[in-house]
Amino acid sequence: MTNIYKHLAIASGTMVGILGVTPALAAGTTAGSTITNTATVNYQVGGVAQTAINASNNITVDRRITLTVAEVGSATTSVAPGASAQVTTFTVTNTSNDTLDLGLTVAQLAGGTAAHGGTDNFDLTGLGAFVDTNGNGSYDAGTDLAATFLDEVAADASRTVFLVGAIPIARVNGDVAGVTLTAQARAGGGAGSQGAVIAETVGANTAGMDTVFADAAGPVAGDAARDGKASDDDDYTVSAPTLTVTKQSRVVSDPINGSTNPKLIPGAIVEYCIVVANAAGGASATSVAISDPLPAQTTFVASSSFLNGTYTGTAPTGTCNLDGASGGSVTAGTLNGTLGTIAAGTTRTLYFQVTIN
Amino acid sequence: MRALLFVIALLAPSLALAANNVTLSSAVFLEKTIADSSGHARIVLEEPQSVTPGDQLVFILNYRNAGNAPASDFIVTNPLPATVAYSGSRDSAQVSIDGGRSWGTLPALKVREADGRWRSAMPEDVTHVRWAFKNTIAAGAHGKLSFRGVVR
Repeated sequence: MTNIYKHLAIASGTMVGILGVTPALAAGTTAGSTITNTATVNYQVGGVAQTAINASNNITVDRRITLTVAEVGSATTSVAPGASAQVTTFTVTNTSNDTLDLGLTVAQLAGGTAAHGGTDNFDLTGLGAFVDTNGNGSYDAGTDLAATFLDEVAADASRTVFLVGAIPIARVNGDVAGVTLTAQARAGGGAGSQGAVIAETVGANTAGMDTVFADAAGPVAGDAARDGKASDDDDYTVSAPTLTVTKQSRVVSDPINGSTNPKLIPGAIVEYCIVVANAAGGASATSVAISDPLPAQTTFVASSSFLNGTYTGTAPTGTCNLDGASGGSVTAGTLNGTLGTIAAGTTRTLYFQVTIN
Repeated sequence: MRALLFVIALLAPSLALAANNVTLSSAVFLEKTIADSSGHARIVLEEPQSVTPGDQLVFILNYRNAGNAPASDFIVTNPLPATVAYSGSRDSAQVSIDGGRSWGTLPALKVREADGRWRSAMPEDVTHVRWAFKNTIAAGAHGKLSFRGVVR
C-alpha cells in the first residue's frame, strides 16, 4: 500500500457516520429510519489525485410487526377450591422494530383441551389481566394494576402480565380451567392511552414507512399468522383432597361377659372409630375437624379419645389401630377433635369409647 | 519568471484534465425468494418495496470513466450504513473492520474481544468495503461492482 492509498483510505473513513441510527437488537433497525448508502471513487489522472466522486441512495426501513406471548413456566397452576387471586403468568414481548401499544384480550376455554393436556371443565370467576407494575415478576395485589393494554412497549421490550381469578368453591380434584391471553399490536406514541389497531399496508410500497405483519400463528383461536396478534394459553388445575368419612363401632366388653363375646347391654363399653380417608392423587387435607354428637343413651369414657391413629384395611371392614395420640374433648354432649394433615392416599382416625347407659 | 512558468506547467495537466471526470451511481435491490408458477423457489432482485430488518440487500455501484484520459489508482470506497451488516461480495473487494484504517480480506482480519482474545473477523464486523483497481480505467471504460448486506 502506497502512502497515497493510505491517505485516501483515511479520507474515505471520514465519511462514516452519515446516519445517526442506532440499530436495535433482535427487533432490528428502527422503523421509519433511512438507510443511506454512499460510495466514493478516488482516482488519479496523469498522476494527480482528482476530486473524489460520491454516489448515494436512500431506502426507508418499514415497520415489521412481530410480537410474542409466552406462558411463564411449563406447568399448570395448581389451585384449591374457593381460592381467590389465583395467578397464571405470561411474558408479552414486542419484537417489532417500533414502539407499540399492545392490546390485551383475556379469554377462557369452553371445553376442549387446555394448555397442559387436561380437559377444560370450568371457568374462573372475575378473571382479568394485571400488569407487573413493579416489575418483580410476581403478582402483588394492589400494586400490580388491572390493564386492558400495555402502554408504549419499546422495540425488544417485554412486560409481564398476570391473569388473576378466583376458583369456585364447588370444584373438585382434577378439574381444569383453560385460560388464554392474546396481545394485539396497536399504534404507540400516546403515553397513557391505547393507540388504534395497526393494519398491514396493502398494495404497493409507499415512500414512507409501511407496515408488514410477521408474527406467527398462536395457539389461541383467532390468532393466525401475520395478523398482528400473538397469544398463548395456560391452565389451572384443581388440586383438592377427596375425603371419605366412615364410622364404625365394636363392643369391647360388658359387665357380665367381660371381653369374651360381649353383648350390648347397659354398662357395656363400645368403641367408635371415625375413619377419614384422603384418596390418592389429590391434595393433602389439613386441619380436619371432626365433631360427633354422642348418642343420648351413652356416656363418654373419660380420656378414651385418640387422634390421628392409623387404619388397616378398607373402611368399614378394616381395623382401627390403637396408635393415636390422646386428644379430643367432649363439650355439651359432642366430641370434638382435630386431625392433623392427612396426605393424599392416607387414612387417619379418631377413636373413642362410650358406655351404654 | 522561470519558476512561475514552471508552476504553470505543473498545473497545466490538472487544469486540462478538469474536464476529465468519473461518474459513479449507486443502487440498492432487495433479494427475495419467490415461488414461480411451477412452485420452485427462485431468487429475484427487486426494487426495495417493503424493507424490514433481516432483509437481504444487494448494493450495486456503476462506475464509468466519462473523461478522455485514463484514470489510475482507481479506488471505490463504500462505508456500510450503520444499519446494514455486510454479507459478502463476489467482486474481489477489500474490507475494513476499523472504520477504514486498515484493509484486507475478511479471513485475514482479526477482532480483539473484550476478554483480550483474538478471533477471526466476521461479516457483521465489516465497516467499509472498497475495490482498489490495479489497472487504469481507460477513457470510456465502465464497470459494475456489487456487495450484499442484511438490514440489521
